[in-house]
Parts: sequence; C-alpha cells; structure tokens
Amino acid sequence: MRTTESNKSILAKMTGNRNFGLLLGLVVLLILAAIITPSMYSVNSIINMLQNNAVYGLLAIGEMMVILTAGIDISIGATLSLTGVVCCRLMAENPNVPAVLWILLALLIGALCGAFNGILVGYFKMVPMIATLGTMYAFRGFSFLFSGGQWWFPHQFTEGYLKFATLRILGIPSILWILVLVFALAILFLGYTSRGRRIYAIGTNRESSQVAGIKEERVVFLAMTLCGALAGLGGMLYTANYATCSYSIGEGYEMTAIAICILGGVSISGGKGKVDGVIIGFLMMAVITYFISLLPGLSVWSDAIQGAIIIAAVALNIYMERSAERRALKERSALI
Amino acid sequence: MSGEKNIKTSPVRDLEIKQGFNLSKFLVSWEMVLVYILILINIVLMVKKTNLYFSQGTIQAIIQSGMDVCPLVLGMIFILMLGDIDVSVASNMIFASMVTGLCCASGAPAFIGVFAGILAGALCGAFNGYCVAYIGMPAVIVTIATSMLFRGIVKIILDVNVLKVFPSFYTTVAWVNIAGIPLSLILFLIMGAVFVFILHKSRFGRKLYVIGNNATCAQYSGIDVRKTKLIVFILMGAMCGIASIFFVGRMGGSVSSTMGTGYEMTAIAICVLGGVSTNGGKGKVYGPVIATLIMAFLTYTLGLLEVDANSRKIVTGFILIIAVLIPNVNRQLIANIKLKAIYKGNKNVEALNNRTAEEVKALKNAMAEIKKDTALNESDKTAKIKKYKDKIASLQKKCKEQSAAWLQEQKEDERKARERFAVK
Repeated sequence: MRTTESNKSILAKMTGNRNFGLLLGLVVLLILAAIITPSMYSVNSIINMLQNNAVYGLLAIGEMMVILTAGIDISIGATLSLTGVVCCRLMAENPNVPAVLWILLALLIGALCGAFNGILVGYFKMVPMIATLGTMYAFRGFSFLFSGGQWWFPHQFTEGYLKFATLRILGIPSILWILVLVFALAILFLGYTSRGRRIYAIGTNRESSQVAGIKEERVVFLAMTLCGALAGLGGMLYTANYATCSYSIGEGYEMTAIAICILGGVSISGGKGKVDGVIIGFLMMAVITYFISLLPGLSVWSDAIQGAIIIAAVALNIYMERSAERRALKERSALI
Repeated sequence: MSGEKNIKTSPVRDLEIKQGFNLSKFLVSWEMVLVYILILINIVLMVKKTNLYFSQGTIQAIIQSGMDVCPLVLGMIFILMLGDIDVSVASNMIFASMVTGLCCASGAPAFIGVFAGILAGALCGAFNGYCVAYIGMPAVIVTIATSMLFRGIVKIILDVNVLKVFPSFYTTVAWVNIAGIPLSLILFLIMGAVFVFILHKSRFGRKLYVIGNNATCAQYSGIDVRKTKLIVFILMGAMCGIASIFFVGRMGGSVSSTMGTGYEMTAIAICVLGGVSTNGGKGKVYGPVIATLIMAFLTYTLGLLEVDANSRKIVTGFILIIAVLIPNVNRQLIANIKLKAIYKGNKNVEALNNRTAEEVKALKNAMAEIKKDTALNESDKTAKIKKYKDKIASLQKKCKEQSAAWLQEQKEDERKARERFAVK
C-alpha cells in the first residue's frame, strides 16, 4: 500500500486528499471576494470576521463529536442561550466576583445540559434528533425563565468579563486564541487519545466496537457532554464578545454548526471526518457570511445561499465517496 | 391440486392477520392512553375555568387553534414511517402560501392559485425526495438545507412585503363552524380517514411498514424503495401545500417570510406523541390524530392557566421526551435492571428465577381452576390444593438454595481471580 502511494505524483496526491476540494472552494471564494469587495482584505476586517464567527467554530467542534457517533445535537443553540443568560445575570448581580469563575460556570452548565442529552441518547437509547429536539424546547424555555425576558446591555458588563473575548494578545482577540486552543485540543483528543478514537469506532460500526469491548453508552455520553460544554463556553464568549444578551441569542446556530461540519467533510452517518476539515469548513462559512454581508442588498440572500451550499457540499461529498469506492474496487480487481 | 394447496396455506395467513378483539389490550393501547390524557386535560380545564368551558364556542376555538398543523402531521406520519425525517415542512408551507399569494395577487382565479400552491409544495417535496432517495443524502441534512433554501427564496422574493390577497374560502376553512363542529376539524378527519385507508388498508401502506422496518429486506423482496420514498416525500410536499390553506386562513389571509417558524418541530412532536416511532416502521394514523387535539387543548389550557409561552415550551419539550421514553421503558430494560441489581449479573440465577416464576404461575393457575371446579367434592379439593401448595413451596425453596449456591460460587470465583491478579 505504501509503495503505491509513493509512486503517485504530487498532483495526484493533492487531488486525492479529502480536503483538496474544500481548499479549492475556499481559494475560489477568496478570489471572488477580492474582485468584488476589495475592502474585505485588511488585517482588521479579517480579524473582525473571524472574531464574529468564532462561536460557530466552537459549536461546530462540539457538534462534530456528536455527529461522529452517528448522532446529532440540535439543542446547542438553546444551551448557548441558557449559559449566556445565566452567566450574564449572575455577573450583573455580582460584579466583584473574578471573571474566571464565569467561564468555569459556563463550562459546567453546558456540560450539565450536554450530560442530560447524553443520558437520554446514550443510556435510554432515544433517537438523538428527537431527544435533543425536546431538550431544545426545554433549555430555551429555562433560558427565558431565568432571564425573565430581560436584556443586558454593554454598561452592565464588567471589564474582566468582556476581556475574555476582546482582550488583544499580540493583536489578536482572546476569543480567537481560545478557539485555536479548542481546535488544538480537539485534534489531540480525537486523533491521539483512546477515548477520542472510541468515538470514531462507535460511529463507524456500533456492533463490532461493542464486541471489541467499547461501552457505547459511555462514549455517546462523553461526546454529548463535551458538545454541551463547548456550547456553554460559546454562550459565555458570545455574550462577552457582543456585550449584549437576551434569551433569544443563538437561535438557529445549531443549523449553522451542522452546516460547517457537513462542509468540512464530516459524514452524517458517523465515523468519518477530521478536525482540519471542520476548520476549513469554518473558514469557508465565515468568508461566505462576511462576503454576503458586505454586498449591498444581498443580505436577504444569505439563507438561500447557505442552504444551496450545504446541499451542493453533501452531494459532492457523496459523489466523492462513491467514486473512491469504485476506484478501490477497480484496484482490487486489478490485483486479482 | 391447487385447491388443496390453498387449504394448506390459509391457516398461516389467518394466524398472522386475525388476532381477535381483546378488550383489555385495547384499553391500554397507546391510542387509548392518548384519549385518557385528552379527557384529563379537558377535566382540568373544566374544573379550573368552568364558566369559560361551558360557554358558547370555547371548545370550537380550542380545536380551531390546533388545526393549522394538521395536514403537516398527517404527511409527517408517512415520512417518519420510512425512518426519515423532514424539517423543511414549515418553510415548504410558507413557500406554497407565497406561490398562491402571488398567483392571486396577479389576478388569477382562486382555484388556479390553490392548485399552484399545492403543486409548488409537491415540487419542493419532490426535490427533497430526489435528494434523499436517488442521490442517497441523509434526510436530516437535506431537509435542514432545503428549509433554509425555501425560506431563503421566500425572503428574496417577498423581502419585507406582506401578501394579502387570498381566496375568501381560506378564512372560512379556519374560522367557520358547521352545526357546532369546526369546518377545519371535519376536513382534518376526512383527510385522516384517507390516510388511514392508505396506511392500514392499501398495499402502499404495507410497503411503508416494510421499508421502515428493513429497507434492504424491502429492496430484496421486490419493493422499489427509491420510488416509494420519492412518492412519500411528494405527498408530504402536497400536504404542505394543503397546510398553507389552513395556515393562511388562521393568520387571517396574509403571509410574510418570517411566519410559521417552528411548525416542523410541532408536527414532529405531535407524531412522536402519537406513537409513531422515529426509527421507522411503527405507528398508526389514529395516534397522531388524537395527539393533534391533545396539543391544541394542552397549549390552550396552559395559556388559560396563565403559563407564559416560553414555559409552555418547556412543557412541550418534556412531554416529547417522556412520550418517547415510555415505550423505551419496556420489559427488556426492567429485566436488565433486575439482572444487575438483584441477580448481581449472574445470568444462570436470572434464568432459574424466571423459570421458577413461570412454573409457580402455571401451578397457581391450575390451583385456581381446581377451586372453580364444581365436579370435585370438598375434601378432594383441599387435598389437591395442599399438594399444589407444597409443590410451590418446594420449588421456591429449591430455587433460593440453588441461586444462593451459585452466587456464593461467583463470589468465590471473583475472590480467586483477585488473588491470582494480586500475586502476578
């Protein structure tokens, strides 16, 4: 196997890479953007773009872990809203508490929400879509109850709280540093730890991984809890980034997160997908949304364009998989 | 010859189809449970708001308030039956309403507008169905994407405008009562009857059950799975078109691009509450029909009890979770918990206990029969009953001793294993 790979030309290797199509798409988008809206290309506006989309990146990494177990979590938008509201309310009432506490609290609340999903899906064997649909309603409702319909505005936020998203280290806002850290941890976790590999194993083949001694319930529970924790972190950072909060934040974010995963080549049937693909998907989505928002009169198009892009990406994904299978079949028949 | 063959095969068919009517089973079936819940909600409403409940038109208003999702529910049953899901129905409905609205605004006759709306819905459904069945994309992703796409198209065309020209019968459908019964309920029941016929009495319905249980098996037994899926998605689209009539009528004859968000979730929730399995292949039409009414009464009752809209969301969410959890809490789960808690994971002990319980049950049944038997005289009866009682006691004693011995053995084994491990 190794020898045949080294015989291939560099070009063939490049086009054979799963991320090649994605990178090509990203480059095309960037060129298109450069021609139509040159104002997009300044360090400030690019950092701005990434900063405003960073929450999607966090959600997408969490969502990816759940999708890898062949599940889906559509309650993360509501989890984000719940944590955001809880953190903001407590922060506004106790401004003297050190801000690190709020980030820990956010992680905790998110993890609890995720753990609840994980118990339903992992231990009670509910269909993930339905379980998280129910909890989506519930979390959103709790978020409203806790906020009492109130809004929080910039003057109510403490300096330390806002610094978690906006403090510039080496010219880059800290929310992006956190995002990079999460990406790095996700690469390490999913690629190089046995727990992370088990997530892939469960998604690829449930029966055989159970036979191999992997406890399916625990893995699903872990994945959903991590997803919830990341959504909680996203909620806290969202409010710190925009310095506003209400119970209606994060509506529809789960769809965007799923879309990023799909764009990044994560297979919805589980077991396939890598963090680097999701990072590229995240960059693409950021460029698309920013690009659309810069064009006058195009903002109403954003939904339709996003939908069309997802359909195209999934169709392409399936086509690529099938052609790869066909090629593998051909190679095998040639060997015989 | 052929006659003989028919006679030989017929009993098998009879066994499968005719199970007879069992009253006790019927009373605890999921549909009846739903009816009890509906009655319970009604009683709560009656007690808490007696004046309102018995005043003219309240019940009609409640039923009408829940009828705008009813066609979506009916369509969704079939989709869930296949093991797929469709979250684009709300966007599809708005899309169909927009097409009707545009047709009517341009001065076309009413029936052309309605027809165009249903056709547009069916086309959207066909697009979903083509992607799911023929390209092989997962239904969740396709419909999430198309829900963005359809609503996006509506946003592009309508922007912030509101369409206000609709045929006059739209509002009639949603708001008028005929002889005290809401017209929308009558229409819903008629549609429900058609769906009952399709699902439970026709060959097409049987196909859906087969595909939902095992698509590969269905494929090998000669069912065109792709085509069936496509037809179901087109049907769902057409139902979205029909739902637009109810919805627009309910909204007083106007449509804008932001209306109707979350309807897909309500429709799915109602179907799940009605006992349709999201894994496919399980469920009936009757359940969701009753669940639609439950949802209407529930939201209205909670509203009257001054629970705000967002707390109602919590209630809806938990009802959804519990409704799905209840069928999961079945014998298997209870047996598993018992195995872990009482029998300490020893399967031999579990099997022995189960067998003994069965034998004891059989003996007790025999005992009851003897008690009823009038042919025997008293002394014989008591003697026989005593014999049975002794038998039961000895069985139970044996079982207890044996399981204690086995558990002791297991403990011993564990201890030995631990020792060996410690030595190493």
